[in-house]
Amino acid sequence: MKDIITVMKFTIKDMIKRKSFIISTLIILVLIVIGFNIPNMIKSFKGENTGDKFLIVDNDNVFEGNLELLKQANLGYDVEIEKADFDEIKQKIENEEIAEAIMIEKKENNIKIRYIVENTNMMTEVPENIVYSINSLYSNIQISKLGLTEEQLQTIAPNLEFSLEQTNEEEVNGNIFVIMLMSIVLFYAIYFCAYQVSSSITTEKTSKIMETLVTSTSPKTIVLGKTLGIGIVGLLQMILIVGTALISAKAFLEAELLDTVLDMSNITVYLGIITIIYFILGYFTYALLYALTGSTVSKPEDIQSANGPVAILAIVGFYLSYFTMMNPTSELNIFASLFPISSPFCMPFRIMMGLASGKDVVISIMILIVTILVIAKVAIKIYSNAILNYGKKISFKDIIKMYRDK
Amino acid sequence: MSLILKNVSKTFVGKLVVDNISFNIEKPGVFGLLGTNGAGKTTTIRMLLGIIKKDNGEITWKGKAVDRKNVNFGYLPEERGVYPKIKILDQLLYFAELKGMNKNDAMESINKWAKKLKVEEYLQMPAEKLSKGNQQKIQFMTAIIHNPELVVLDEPFSGLDPVNTEILKNIIIDLVENGKYVIMSAHQMATIEEFCSDILILNKGETVLQGNLKQIKETYPANRVEIDVKQNIDNYIKEFDLKIENVTNNNYNIKISEEEKAHQLLNKLISTGIKVDKFEIKKPTLNDIFIEKVGE
Repeated sequence: MKDIITVMKFTIKDMIKRKSFIISTLIILVLIVIGFNIPNMIKSFKGENTGDKFLIVDNDNVFEGNLELLKQANLGYDVEIEKADFDEIKQKIENEEIAEAIMIEKKENNIKIRYIVENTNMMTEVPENIVYSINSLYSNIQISKLGLTEEQLQTIAPNLEFSLEQTNEEEVNGNIFVIMLMSIVLFYAIYFCAYQVSSSITTEKTSKIMETLVTSTSPKTIVLGKTLGIGIVGLLQMILIVGTALISAKAFLEAELLDTVLDMSNITVYLGIITIIYFILGYFTYALLYALTGSTVSKPEDIQSANGPVAILAIVGFYLSYFTMMNPTSELNIFASLFPISSPFCMPFRIMMGLASGKDVVISIMILIVTILVIAKVAIKIYSNAILNYGKKISFKDIIKMYRDK
Repeated sequence: MSLILKNVSKTFVGKLVVDNISFNIEKPGVFGLLGTNGAGKTTTIRMLLGIIKKDNGEITWKGKAVDRKNVNFGYLPEERGVYPKIKILDQLLYFAELKGMNKNDAMESINKWAKKLKVEEYLQMPAEKLSKGNQQKIQFMTAIIHNPELVVLDEPFSGLDPVNTEILKNIIIDLVENGKYVIMSAHQMATIEEFCSDILILNKGETVLQGNLKQIKETYPANRVEIDVKQNIDNYIKEFDLKIENVTNNNYNIKISEEEKAHQLLNKLISTGIKVDKFEIKKPTLNDIFIEKVGE
């Protein structure tokens, strides 16, 4: 146990002293802070009040002076009404005085509405809310001219109320896309952290230090100490990154904008602890698999091909969780939350969505722990035999032979 | 008896790499473990260090079965390796701690050996900034830092310049004088002859020769004569049907099958008035014996 702590301390010290580690962590943190400041930066760049101005031009007075009503329609723009021709509008857009414009023209019996933007690359049609607002404003003007009674008006323009509902009784909390995004973050955190174990072991083999190391302590101690050390650094790095992201989100994003993407009330201490537990268990699952594959190569150029099977397993696990999360109440998603290669990327979010019971969580964690113990036994055994092999990359057949060897 | 290997074998991924070898090291000194590349030396060393398990046989140190947990041998592997990016002092402290030393004892030992090996100025540097020879001295330090009773040195002098070779040789002599057991594997037979009282030669996993080096050499008849003269004596050598092995500045090394012919050649040279500065009948060197035993 003392040796495991010695190896762990040495691994931690080695990792956090590396310039590449310090610089990459700092870059990520700076990017996060900058990322959450982008809305503010855009605002201060454009000036608080200039906003997105929207010009409506009705030279032929088709709307008979009623366009002022659009200002109250909450179109998400600062609406201005002026008289101007196309060239003047073009000039205003180029000078960034306005963002967009609508030109209303009367052509014989038709009314032509021209929606003018700087370029149409990202647009396929006129935004629906604008079409709807202008349509209904025009209808209302014309209807009011007919002198209809209140009752007649209601039959023509019924107040149709739409709502979205589900038949499934389980209610899903939170924005599914944000949860999927967070699942990607957790996947990368686990995956890259575990990958470090493989590259660390191969580095020890290629630098030939392994032979000295293995006479100083047992292979089991090396694998466990190294895995723990890298895991602790990875966990602290993840906590630092997620913490910075949450603090930045609270500090720099407007509360309204934040509410539309993430319900902060979902982020509880329980969820935090569960996520950390799944990070640790997921990390151990993949780190030990990587320890196994890392020990079978002795040349850095062979790392990629040796690690291939683990990478495929991780990607299958991740996508199993990711795609079934689009339909979180499906049986496949329940399976993904229990299956050990996918559960670390799935279960924390089922909990966040309020779909997992305590029993589900316990079963899922038990399955993961048993899986880790089995992988650890196999990985340490093969690692012990493979680390002193400096020849060609060890084949799968050799790995099985090594496992059977005494 | 201190170290005993008895009928030890090892099969690795279906291939027999060490076949039933036995040897003892009874008292402090340097024991030579020789063999061609792939003869099974490294596997034997790894088994006696407890790094890999033997399939059969017995390995004991002072009466106790050798297991990684109950021995604390020192080992300088043939494959040289250090952590390239890590400070030398940190690496040495790490290995000392893994070998059960506390920080104070480790520092004391590091300072002592750094001074002896003349590497004090490198302790605060990362290993990648050191020359290969200095890296090797650092690795030698990791092998002996914890004052082990038995040290295994695999090719300790390869890659060292003459000055550093001398430093290391003196340290090995010191170790033996201090009652340490040293097992040395080397391809330079002259080095083995200089240090080892007992040897074992492995070929394809099997023992082909073992015992006291002096006694082994005595069982071999003389096989060459060295003659130093001031003129060319090729004709006389041909006359006696002898074969010149090499000649430099009229210093002849001549192969002989029996000592008598060498004496006849000497008599002939003296009787014809040739001045002979040196005449030495030689026993085979370890190199000769090694090639005879393992050469195809």
